[in-house]
Amino acid sequence: MRFAEFTPYDIVLLLQGLGVTVGLFLITSLIGLVIGVLWGIVRFYRVPVLMQVITFVAEVLKNSPVLVQLFLVFFGVPAFFKLNMTPVSAAVITLSLNTAAFVYVIAVSSIESIGRDQVEAARVFGLSRWQVLRHVIAPQAAAFSIGPLTALLVNQLQVTSLISVIGVLDLAKIGATLNLRTLKPFIVWTAVGILYYLAAKAVASLGAWAEKRLRAHSAFRGL
Amino acid sequence: MRLDLTILIPHLGFLAEGALLTLEACALALVGSVILGMLVAIARTSSSQWISRLAFLYVDLFRNIPFIVQLFFFYYGLPEIGIYIDAFTTGVIALSIAGGAYASDAIRAGILAIDNGILEAAEVSGLSKRVTFTRIVLPIALRTSVRPLGSVLINMILTSSILSTITLNELTGQAKIVASDTFRPFEVYVVLLVVYAALTYLVSLGITLLHRRLNRDLQEQVS
Repeated sequence: MRFAEFTPYDIVLLLQGLGVTVGLFLITSLIGLVIGVLWGIVRFYRVPVLMQVITFVAEVLKNSPVLVQLFLVFFGVPAFFKLNMTPVSAAVITLSLNTAAFVYVIAVSSIESIGRDQVEAARVFGLSRWQVLRHVIAPQAAAFSIGPLTALLVNQLQVTSLISVIGVLDLAKIGATLNLRTLKPFIVWTAVGILYYLAAKAVASLGAWAEKRLRAHSAFRGL
Repeated sequence: MRLDLTILIPHLGFLAEGALLTLEACALALVGSVILGMLVAIARTSSSQWISRLAFLYVDLFRNIPFIVQLFFFYYGLPEIGIYIDAFTTGVIALSIAGGAYASDAIRAGILAIDNGILEAAEVSGLSKRVTFTRIVLPIALRTSVRPLGSVLINMILTSSILSTITLNELTGQAKIVASDTFRPFEVYVVLLVVYAALTYLVSLGITLLHRRLNRDLQEQVS
């Protein structure tokens, strides 16, 4: 028994879902990137107390399921603090913080990848700690971190599919809706899967392009 | 607006049931994904172009499509082709297939890291290709890839929370029920977050110990 067939409008629906997914992915990645780098800078300056708090928060965020974090922000926080929370704002808060936790780890390790002798040499020349970070560490750390960052972003793109559980109309939710209406799970989920796959590939190739650009100065030119 | 964790005490047994189901699903899926990962790693290191390309396609697809989409594909799709299995089996199968893609990468790295001298020694000793693989290559590869396989397991524990979306009442599913019974979602999900973090922390400690024990003869190279 079939309740409804596919209509041409379903393609628009899928693309709309893809738009929501990509949009939220871009926003949360950007916010997460900024927060994560800020946390990394706090660690670079070795701010007491704040540093330990950040490390603990990042550790918890990395080691717990995103789904539970989503439920905590969407169901728990509004009930506890008596405030209103829309599914989209809950999704943005959760995904941004989750991305930030992973960016923090990458930021710390790429700052530490710069040899101490460089930092010491720069300090001897009279550069302040901020100048060292801005002119010596940041350019090299950026090139170093772009690889892990790309892997992280490809992963975070898939994590965005979880927000469909709290009712954001992203690609996965559109898939669930179409699945319920047409009762053709193979076609629907294959189409959704292909769209996610293509989006992930696009992110990966953008990352590869950025890495090539940032590493151009140290690339092997051939003999 | 007061954090009162004592309201959870009557529900602890109920939550423990869920935790047990989570561990059960993860244990089964770990076995499944290591077996699958081994087969795929063999295929990817195969000298036949076609087999290794096919294996790469599998890994690429299942790593770049969100787990929730894969899960729905199996959960709604399998009955369509006449296979009726319960949510638990579907969940374990989906986790195994997704985990297998990650596990195969870990094992493949272990295989590629094997010294050519060992393979040559086996060849000179007159061992057949099959015996060389099952008796020499696989034990070494599995031993050195314990740590990456451990992070696959930790990821699997976190991913298993998604199984709650297909009516499987594991830890997250039970917690959802408790949250709606007690009207205290904040307390419930905060505790859940900590429980998951503690669980994965314990697992990672165990993995480190196991890794050290299995590679004790390579102590100075591995540590």
